[in-house]
Amino acid sequence: MRVTQPSDSVPLSLRSLAARRFGAVSWVGFAAWIIVIAFLLLAVFGPLFIATDPLRQTPGALLPIGSPGHPLGTDNLGRDELSRLVHGARPLIGIALLSTLFAALIGTTIGLIAGYSGGWIDQLLMRTTDLVLAFPSLLLIILLVSVTGAGPFPLVTGITVAMAPSFARLVRALCAREMARDYVTSATLAGTRAPRIMLVEILPNLTGPLLVQVMTTISVAAGFSAGMSYIGLGIQPPQPDWGYMVQAAQQFIYSQPSLIILPATCTLLFVVACNFVGDDLRDRFDLRRDL
Amino acid sequence: MTLVMRLSRPLRSRTLGMLIVRRLLLVPLVLFAVVTIVFFAMRLIPGSPATTLGVAGTEGLSSKQIQENIDALTKTLGLDRPLLEQFGTYLLAVSRLDLGYSFFGSNSVVSLLKNTLPATIELVFTAMIIAVILGVVTGVVAAMRRGKALDSIILAFATVSFSLPWFALGVLGIIVFSVQLGWLPVLGRLPTSLGYQPTTNFVLLDAILQNRPDLVLPWIEHLILPALTLAISMAGFITRMVRASVLEVLGDDFIRTARMKGLDEWHIMSGHVLRNSSLPVVTVLGLQFGSLLGGSVITETVFSYPGVGNLLVSAVNQHDYLLVQGAVFAVALLFILTNVVVDILYYVLDPRLRKA
Repeated sequence: MRVTQPSDSVPLSLRSLAARRFGAVSWVGFAAWIIVIAFLLLAVFGPLFIATDPLRQTPGALLPIGSPGHPLGTDNLGRDELSRLVHGARPLIGIALLSTLFAALIGTTIGLIAGYSGGWIDQLLMRTTDLVLAFPSLLLIILLVSVTGAGPFPLVTGITVAMAPSFARLVRALCAREMARDYVTSATLAGTRAPRIMLVEILPNLTGPLLVQVMTTISVAAGFSAGMSYIGLGIQPPQPDWGYMVQAAQQFIYSQPSLIILPATCTLLFVVACNFVGDDLRDRFDLRRDL
Repeated sequence: MTLVMRLSRPLRSRTLGMLIVRRLLLVPLVLFAVVTIVFFAMRLIPGSPATTLGVAGTEGLSSKQIQENIDALTKTLGLDRPLLEQFGTYLLAVSRLDLGYSFFGSNSVVSLLKNTLPATIELVFTAMIIAVILGVVTGVVAAMRRGKALDSIILAFATVSFSLPWFALGVLGIIVFSVQLGWLPVLGRLPTSLGYQPTTNFVLLDAILQNRPDLVLPWIEHLILPALTLAISMAGFITRMVRASVLEVLGDDFIRTARMKGLDEWHIMSGHVLRNSSLPVVTVLGLQFGSLLGGSVITETVFSYPGVGNLLVSAVNQHDYLLVQGAVFAVALLFILTNVVVDILYYVLDPRLRKA
């Protein structure tokens, strides 16, 4: 435990914090950040730089890697693999980010209300959450898609519903812990309204664990999204998507395995990197708690 | 004091049986809840199955014809009836194990499930066994090498393993082990050349019943890769649980006592430490079984493995609505029963829980 010195003004402590953080960076965590950022940039800007249309069919089907004009070859319909790979990043990452965002918003709201209110509201909200959590998430998503039909919107809805309970549980537990703290009591005594206590007083103190949970959820959601597309219940063709690309290429597993390896590895890399970023964040926030 | 003890002794021995009975009595209740949820979920979600089914494959028909199509389907499915009446009819049918008929090929849903459920059970439980072995071994190794490089590597793998997408793992596994190395078959459950005629449709059981030892090796070869794909996500959780509980127990007094008695490390690990780690492992099995079942849907598709998951996916793709309902019901049943077994295991393993 360090005694706060008078010279420890906010910017200075921030700087020392940053120095300590960078000192503690592991190369795995660093690589993970780079990969995640690279994939995000690829999803946002990649399609702008690829001139080839991912849907344009050329006479050369199943061209190998390194063919002139098609650096990563072509698929069975003669579509440029590089272009499809780059365009395929958007739906996967977009759906993962969107559903995580919604799940975090809904889950955090439920968790805050349950943790803050306690009593029967807490019981009701948490038992409902447990009910959803008890149901295998992938089955929940499939059940939903089976009625609404496949597409990005049902996919986002399904993943959101499946993922929100984890956020609710986490936030409720953290919020209940914070409720015992003096600052909440003092805010209550000062007459601060409940929503303000929840959002302005309590929520900022939950940032660390929430961010970790966000990264983990992005990683799981990306896996779900690609997996659903793989079994034909997610993004529908002709829109290029890594999951669907793997499925479509599986019949050429002997003649052209690169058509499978490339999108599968991209999915794997993104998912693993997100997870390691979450792990890295966990380490960093533990570090801050020790400071 | 003695009176209380004498009274409580037979009581305690009866408690385990009582608890199991009480837990089993809960099953129909939970099943009822599942049936209710599936039923209402499929009707409250916007978009009627009749519409989805009626519109599918109707390019070129006029909108009036499509509407007639939808209306006819609504009637066939009984969707025009009041919701509660539909629910009553459905409950009655389910209680008679009548889950309706598939729209394609007119097989009854129950017979389709009978053909596929054993394959899924084989896959999922093999995956569980692999996960336990993998998880316990890596967990113990990590705990014994605490703070060393091996510990960090195992922990890093355990961290990422649970979110690894099954389909990517599966196809990459096929490419490496089946296509490149040629060690394992690419897909399916058994080669048709073996002429396997299912009796129970559990291959191992049938191999004994039909005296067909030649079935066993191909069965294992087909099962190992999909089971491993599924197992990896669960193994990571077990690794972490085992590592933590081993580290915790190693510092306990009774381990010190065992060491002082002169027991060798192997006996301490197997007899004392691992026994205490069995509880967290069982916890993980129960908690992660749902995710394993979800994963089996995708894994079965990857390996064209003829299980319930594969059936479910094709049913959803073909809008085979009753089959979807039935398959979800079957998977939920498997999920519930496994959780009952896990709970009972819990009571058996930890006497302290019986009081609660």
